Amino acid sequence: MRLKKGTVLVVGGGISGVQAALDLADSGFYVHLVERQAAIGGRMSQLDKTFPTNDCSACILSPKLVECGRHLNINLLTLSELTELEGEPGNFKATVIQHPRYVDMSKCIACGLCAEKCPKKVPDEFNLGLNKRKAIYLTYPQAVPLKYAIDEKRCIYLKKPGRCGFCAEVCPAGAINFEDRDMEHHLEVGSVILSPGFSAFDPKSLDFTGYGQFPNVVTSMEFERLLSPSGPCMGDIERPSDQKEPRRIAWLQCIGSRDINRACRGYCSSVCCMYAIKQAVIAKEHAHGPLEASIFFMDMRTHGKEFEAYYNRARNEGIKFHRSRVHTIFPGKNENLILRYSDERGNLLNKEFDMVVLSVGLELDKAGLELVSRLGIELDHDNFIATRNFQPSATSRDGIFVCGAASEPKDIPQSVVEAGAAALECEKLLFEARWQDTKKKAFPEERDISGEPPRIGVFVCHCGINIASVIDVKAVTEYAKGLPGVIFAQDNLFTCSQDTINQMAEIIKSKRLNRVVVASCTPRTHEPLFQETLREAGINKYLFEMANIRDQDSWVHMNNPEGATKKAMDLVRMAVAKVREDSPLPYNSVPVTKAALVVGGGVGGMTAALSLADQGFPVTLVEKKETLGGHAKKLYRIWQGEVVAPYLNELVSRVENHENIRVCCNTTVKDVKGSVGRFATTLSDNSEVQHGAAILAIGAESYKPDNYLYGRNPNVHTLLEMSQKLMKEPDSLKNTNQAVFIHCVGSRVPERPYCSRVCCTHAIDQALKFKELNPQMDIFMLYRDIRTYGKREWLYHKARSAGIIFVRYEPDRLPLVKEESGEIIVQIYDPISDRDLFLNPDILVLATAVVPRDDTGELSKFFKCAVNSDGFLLEAHMKLRPVDFATEGVFLAGLCHYPKPMDETIAQAQAAAKRAAAILARDLIPAESITAQVDPKKCTRCSVCSRVCPYGAISLSDDAGTAVVDISLCKGCGACVAGCRSDAIILKNLDNLGIMEEVEALFME
Amino acid sequence: MPKKANVKLKKIKAKIKEHINEAVPQSNINYCLTCGLCVSGCPASGLEGLDPRKFLRLIVLGQDEEILGTDWIYSCTMCARCKYACPMGIDIGRIVYELRGMRPKDKRPPNLQRSCDLQKKSNSTGIPNEDFVWVVGDVLEEVHQNEPDWADLKAPIDKKGAKYYLNQNAKEPTVEPEEMVPLWKILHAAGIDWTYSSKWWDGANYCLFTGDPQDWEYTVRKQAETVDSLGCRYYINTE
Amino acid sequence: MFFATLEGLRRFNIPHKFEFVSIITLYAKWIRNGRLQVTPEWNREGLRFAVQDPCKLVRQGLGDEVAEDLRYVVKQVVGEENFVETWPNRSNNFCCGGGGGAIQAGFTENRMKYGKEKFDQFDRVKPDVVITPCHNCHTQIMQLCDHYGGRWKTTHLWNWLVKALVR
Repeated sequence: MRLKKGTVLVVGGGISGVQAALDLADSGFYVHLVERQAAIGGRMSQLDKTFPTNDCSACILSPKLVECGRHLNINLLTLSELTELEGEPGNFKATVIQHPRYVDMSKCIACGLCAEKCPKKVPDEFNLGLNKRKAIYLTYPQAVPLKYAIDEKRCIYLKKPGRCGFCAEVCPAGAINFEDRDMEHHLEVGSVILSPGFSAFDPKSLDFTGYGQFPNVVTSMEFERLLSPSGPCMGDIERPSDQKEPRRIAWLQCIGSRDINRACRGYCSSVCCMYAIKQAVIAKEHAHGPLEASIFFMDMRTHGKEFEAYYNRARNEGIKFHRSRVHTIFPGKNENLILRYSDERGNLLNKEFDMVVLSVGLELDKAGLELVSRLGIELDHDNFIATRNFQPSATSRDGIFVCGAASEPKDIPQSVVEAGAAALECEKLLFEARWQDTKKKAFPEERDISGEPPRIGVFVCHCGINIASVIDVKAVTEYAKGLPGVIFAQDNLFTCSQDTINQMAEIIKSKRLNRVVVASCTPRTHEPLFQETLREAGINKYLFEMANIRDQDSWVHMNNPEGATKKAMDLVRMAVAKVREDSPLPYNSVPVTKAALVVGGGVGGMTAALSLADQGFPVTLVEKKETLGGHAKKLYRIWQGEVVAPYLNELVSRVENHENIRVCCNTTVKDVKGSVGRFATTLSDNSEVQHGAAILAIGAESYKPDNYLYGRNPNVHTLLEMSQKLMKEPDSLKNTNQAVFIHCVGSRVPERPYCSRVCCTHAIDQALKFKELNPQMDIFMLYRDIRTYGKREWLYHKARSAGIIFVRYEPDRLPLVKEESGEIIVQIYDPISDRDLFLNPDILVLATAVVPRDDTGELSKFFKCAVNSDGFLLEAHMKLRPVDFATEGVFLAGLCHYPKPMDETIAQAQAAAKRAAAILARDLIPAESITAQVDPKKCTRCSVCSRVCPYGAISLSDDAGTAVVDISLCKGCGACVAGCRSDAIILKNLDNLGIMEEVEALFME
Repeated sequence: MPKKANVKLKKIKAKIKEHINEAVPQSNINYCLTCGLCVSGCPASGLEGLDPRKFLRLIVLGQDEEILGTDWIYSCTMCARCKYACPMGIDIGRIVYELRGMRPKDKRPPNLQRSCDLQKKSNSTGIPNEDFVWVVGDVLEEVHQNEPDWADLKAPIDKKGAKYYLNQNAKEPTVEPEEMVPLWKILHAAGIDWTYSSKWWDGANYCLFTGDPQDWEYTVRKQAETVDSLGCRYYINTE
Repeated sequence: MFFATLEGLRRFNIPHKFEFVSIITLYAKWIRNGRLQVTPEWNREGLRFAVQDPCKLVRQGLGDEVAEDLRYVVKQVVGEENFVETWPNRSNNFCCGGGGGAIQAGFTENRMKYGKEKFDQFDRVKPDVVITPCHNCHTQIMQLCDHYGGRWKTTHLWNWLVKALVR
């Protein structure tokens, strides 16, 4: 057998491709990342804010892009296309054509002189043509790589050599190269990940929307750019007709989705309901006066974690929701727009708006389709890349995997999860070749700064307009120059952009800086990036402080620029005072126990366990119940029709017989000690498991209602009970005359405000199964919003086609269920016919909520993880770290995170395993440098510190006669410092000296 | 306005829906998402207490008696604007057509039915074919007399082998014959070789609206036979 | 009705040797290829024209293409600057309310209510003339104009085409 390649080709540099590349490159694989555009970042880079956290999209994405651009084991190929792929899994030969940039990337310093001089103005595609850019351009301000490119179709010189050429004349770096030509790369890779992403539906063909005719009808992508501070109107929304700020905006949902007629796209695009609400919320924030926001929709699909709360909040904030699709948009006076719509009972209403946003759907674009057809990969009937539920990232061709919206419309967290799942699949295929093709990072030796006086450099960031529109950045920079110890200060448009970072490293070296302050966004996202820059420049990374002048200044004091500028100066002065006292700290590391603990033996837990065990890592799988299988045992089939039992039996058998998996049923976790790399967990049988990482996949439970005759009438069942009944005695339905399903039982209610995500699909699939068994049966689905997101919409379609009748109810007019002489009577008001229906079901099925298990909170405490207000485990970041916890080395998957269908659980379990494998693949992992230090002279052995330490890192040593800190366990949380009565413990660089300097600086003028 | 009623559904008996699903499955009657788009796009919304969505809903819920009784099916002009933008492409006009056909002939709007019945004999106004021929000749003669510029104007009838066959809405020869002249002049100016027919010449076709496909088929078949028997290459419809 | 024959031939699979065409398509073709010569010079007063897109010809018949032909012909005949567009238009235009046999069917009150939409549509742009290529539209739009107090004249296309002929 030929040796497998330890290299992976990732095609598409959007968030999913970037995440997959990082996941792989961080765990021992070399990655070629191929991107068609001149910069990576994909659609996410075009978005303003992201739901449901309202994080600035570019701000959370940017560090990942920069990391990707700087990663030693990621080879970025921009303006490139995969044209051919031969070979087999483990050994593919890929041909990649790299189109000319006409700018030498090694020379370009992104100064922008070229674009300033370029006489050719062309529509800016990044801003969807809402404004112009030049023929030589930077895709967007934070572009990675931050290099200009020439648009060859528009460049005057390239069309007619001899004309123009101004860019080459002015470029101070001599980077313009008109002789640049296509380059062919032949790459040997073990596997391929496709993440070509999506395009937004073009509504031009839908004449009734008036798009293309009325200037103030825009698409949601265009609106994102209008909202964005880096967009054409710098975040102050202007409507296209007169550049005035709109006071009334309407969003029309399902444009190019759920439409089999004119749009020819029958699927649901999954994300539009949420992005429309988000845009409405953010537009209101950006507006300089009152803004009326109305959303016209069919079913409100807020089926993700924290989505329903976001929707409820939006309603409370006055955003109006109209359950109505609009036939035609009419022009009004002054280029305003009039919407005529019908309420649910058929009353016609007219409303005038200043602007209408079309919430356009997602599709695989032409280039994506061509790529897929070149590779001979199957598409589904919606023209997305076909996948199967049980192996959600596998395509029809072995060794080629998919992640992101190319296989189905999906949101960012799900794309990130799939990136992990696809990376895991590659890893499972290529694990023998781990570290085979990778390069090793070598930092220059650190300069010894002891004895040097402080030579501080201050970098003040504009963050586009995020900071600079409020704070006088130049003034802050000038001010910094006068602070004691500061020998250099400058301001930057985006301090995190790659060229600025590189420049910073150069300045540190050339000016022999020994302390650095960056005044910018927030250390939460950007501190690691700047710290690494210090290392690259040859100084210890702890000689760094950040002044948070965006999140804690410009954003919160946007109406007081003078005060905000003064505060920025205060913050910079404090950071400078603090950094003066900072000293270099050691880079600690801990050896890794190359084994994992998986808690929960359902599909999620078993998938995670197998994903690791198949790569050779020993896994202990702990299950509370007697047998493995979890909820899947109760499921008949999943939404694409695959039957669960055979898959489940195979999964259980593989887990039980795997040489690397130890299954512990009837077992729970009793205690957890240690931290990432070296956990020691005590199980309920008092045995101890040593493991480097843990995955929590403890599932959830089905809500047991106390209404709707549940438990009082034998013919009232929950969905899961019915599912089991269907498997055991399908014939029992043969004589059923009528069945009624009630949706949202226990979900979307005040006690449980979230949507349980799976029930609409499950209920509809079950109703269809009823119809298969007995086509004569009358079936009624009593629902609030049908949430068959993505391709699941086809199930809803199939159900209606089969004659299943859907009747909507509002929470203030619930279905009335009573029993009369043994018969069930359901009374429901149907708004469409405006009358009460009286139903007589033989079977009443309740689609009950998915609720977190009682012991979720307890387990989370063992691992120092959090739960959200609904009781589900809370991930580190809802958008970009969906399988991580804030606690390092602990990951999550499945229903304990949030209700989700089996395919999503499998993907999440694979992603969690991928993250765990990145730890287990290493011999050593970095540990905290800011650790507690005990002053033996002051320690009285009182033991308070060891008792308050949440990590078990402090012991009382008889040898030393004092408390002793195990630095591999210490997280630098400071509990011991606060607890110590003798002032005997400090945290290096967070000790009294530095803090007091900082405080004093605050009160200095 | 139908009064608000309760609907008891021990077993749905939706005969109309079943019939439509069988006869015109392409009408997509089951697909309705009740989104209300048709309601806001339909000028007949609210007439007779109905709108397209409610009309469909009552069919789906088996409210057959109410549906068979409503005159809303004559307010709907089967214009298909609902279908044009309906996300599910539901052909409500086609469903209305089926319902019109389900009405006994004597319960239909009498003038509408009479127009079709007349058309089945010859034309929708019922003027004899000879009168049509005479009127055309008479009007032409008048032009020849009064307008020297148009002395060579023609209005051929039953001219075999003419390249174009022209139909004629029966309204003009019946009530405003001079309205025929402009078209003749245009065809003349363009140098077109055309002809009317002395039978099945009516361009209107009210049998499309009564709901009986056999009547509609009969009238179109007669027209087609007529045009082919004249050997014309093109059949021009004037509206 | 264009659609009655077009769809009748198709639905009942009626054998025929001829090609079924609309006079609108031909007008446009003949003007484009010079067979018919027209000039808007007669329209010195600048009468403003709007058109109705008959549902059976446009939406259910030949679609936007024939709607474009109709506009082309009208603009050639009355002068481009004298043509006023209404919204919605072409395949998405409103039915006037005279279709589907409504004029014969009775229910006049409903028919007028139905047509209010059409009346408003024209009333918003206040044309001097509304051209209707269909007889049902012609009758209905004329009646709507009377009923709701409009000021325009409702006519067929041929009356103006004849005026514009250059012989």
